[in-house]
Amino acid sequence: MEWLRFIAAAILILLGLIMELIAVFGVYRFKFVLNRMHSAAIGDTLALGLVIAGLIVMKGFSLVSLKLLFVLFCLWVASSVSGHVLSRMEVTIDEEDVHKNCEVQE
Amino acid sequence: MSRMRNDYESTLWSRIEKFVNGEEPEQTMKRKKKSRASYEQVKREDVFMEDILLRMERREEESFLEKVEEYGEKRRVRRYERIYRILAVFLCFTVMAVLLVTVSYLPPFGNPDNPANNEVIERYIEKGLQETGTVNVVTGMILNYRGFDTMGETHVLFIAATSVTILLLAVSEKDKKRASDRSFEPKNDIILQKAAKVLVPVIFMFGIYVIMNGHLSPGGGFSGGAMIGAGMILYAGAFGFAKTDRIFNGHVIKIAKISALCLYVSSLSYYFYTGANGIENHIPLGTPGNLFSSGLIFFINIFVGTEVACTMYTFYALFRRGGL
Repeated sequence: MEWLRFIAAAILILLGLIMELIAVFGVYRFKFVLNRMHSAAIGDTLALGLVIAGLIVMKGFSLVSLKLLFVLFCLWVASSVSGHVLSRMEVTIDEEDVHKNCEVQE
Repeated sequence: MSRMRNDYESTLWSRIEKFVNGEEPEQTMKRKKKSRASYEQVKREDVFMEDILLRMERREEESFLEKVEEYGEKRRVRRYERIYRILAVFLCFTVMAVLLVTVSYLPPFGNPDNPANNEVIERYIEKGLQETGTVNVVTGMILNYRGFDTMGETHVLFIAATSVTILLLAVSEKDKKRASDRSFEPKNDIILQKAAKVLVPVIFMFGIYVIMNGHLSPGGGFSGGAMIGAGMILYAGAFGFAKTDRIFNGHVIKIAKISALCLYVSSLSYYFYTGANGIENHIPLGTPGNLFSSGLIFFINIFVGTEVACTMYTFYALFRRGGL
């Protein structure tokens, strides 16, 4: 049982790290701002969720895991919304670049 | 009833008042008027072309007088600048020399006999809980043992905040009316508003928790106040100032800020007075670990938190819309 739990936690955390690496790769690789914001948001949401899920599986269900879930909730709300606001600001300010690269509904 | 003095115009106070109001002092105004009047007189005479010699004389005299005046002023300015430079260099070198001499007298680094390694730290750790009633010894140290130092720091912070506010308020009416980038930014973002509705109460709760538990766990007025200020900034950013102004406008901020500062200083002064005179301060310390324990430190944390939160929100409002 302990083995199974450890393997599951390790897989989750490793998946989270891979997602984070993909996010960093995307941030440096893409040229257009909104694409970069998108890949940064992967790191903010999916990678973070996977790592915290792995930690919860490793520790078992206790007060600590409840606190971790709370942290996850706050970060999911805050960082994804901040990404949204930043992207919207970018669409507002840099109209030329945005219209050249993608279709935006006004 | 007080009556204005007959020679009020020539007193020092009236000159200061005129300077503060931005008016020109009496003497220079007179001088300007006089010179302009005589110049116009000269011009009128110019039309008649009668006594050219007299006019030329007058003009020469006038320009000569002006030159003398200008020269005198310039010379004064130049002399002032020279003395200023010499004094500045002299002061810099003096301070440098004093500091270098002091450095050479400092004890070697890491020596166990250094004055920093004295009984003070031991006393803080051993008797801190008993004497101040705070479980978190750091709070007991900065608000009780070293309260004088903390009060000085708070005053420095307050003066800095006040001067920044003065600088930011000095915006002319023309700049305010000019269209800025603010008018183009997206407003009433529904996603941000929903997120703020979820997050702001949590942030407020956490900030209040940190302030109230400043004597029991890490935290205190400064950090908790910063959290509450951040929550208010998030709310103002999501819903705009029209909503926050209903409850938290400039008037409320002024009252909260000034009363918090006064209460903070007076409660710390009570500690100073009783401590310096060796009087019992009659404030029960309570059982350590309870919420209402450790005497005045609990309330001092609340005052400091209010002050910091108001200052943070004020700065945001000043940068965002140029006024409270």
